[in-house]
Amino acid sequence: MYLLPLGLTGRGRSDKVSLQIFTGESNVQNISKFIWSIAVILGCIAGSASAEGDATAGKQKNALCQGCHGIKDFKMAYPKVYPVPKIGGQNVDYLVSALKAYRDGDRANETMHAIAADLSDQDIEDLAAYYSAVQ
Amino acid sequence: MLNRTLGCLFALLLGLSGVVMAEGTDGAQYIEDKGCVGCHGKDGNAMLMGAPKLGGQKAGYIVKSLMDYKSGARNNAIMSGFATALSEEEMEAIAEYFEEQPSTLTVPKH
Repeated sequence: MYLLPLGLTGRGRSDKVSLQIFTGESNVQNISKFIWSIAVILGCIAGSASAEGDATAGKQKNALCQGCHGIKDFKMAYPKVYPVPKIGGQNVDYLVSALKAYRDGDRANETMHAIAADLSDQDIEDLAAYYSAVQ
Repeated sequence: MLNRTLGCLFALLLGLSGVVMAEGTDGAQYIEDKGCVGCHGKDGNAMLMGAPKLGGQKAGYIVKSLMDYKSGARNNAIMSGFATALSEEEMEAIAEYFEEQPSTLTVPKH
């Protein structure tokens, strides 16, 4: 039953010259069903691939990040004085969750909230992909 | 008189050296006793349970994070429990220990 979306109902008609796994009335119908099935599968794969981060895209979006995280020993001044963390080479999943937490307000930091507020999920994945891999 | 002076100086130096030695070993002991190694590993780089790498991280940032976990300013069910059990001195020793560990964390140039 799980093969129905592919048209693989198993009820091919032997009196027709066709892919016997499809049940269309003609060869053209069978072939177009087949092509659509492949297109849907490829679309699903492509969609999930783009959700992952692209480090090259991340590098194009990181000017604001570098303003603080690209300077050795840079310190946050308000509300407390403390060093900004080193982010190059950090755990990619942690970077994603941190940026989302700053963006959504789960982690309270006015500067990081302001910077993360304009980031889409894709931006965050791309930046995390870049920074987790950068030397 | 001279003997007493020398004796006092010697006792002072002995006391001071004790303090210096204690600072060097405390962090390594705390991370075992306080449970940090379980997720962060001995060098801070284990990344278990989604933990961030701590090896080479800025000590001041680690202290700030631990204090925020303790106060609740930063919400994390796992870290909240661990941080609550730490005094500020212990946090500083742990943070300094991790900052000294082998590190793949960087300040990227681009």
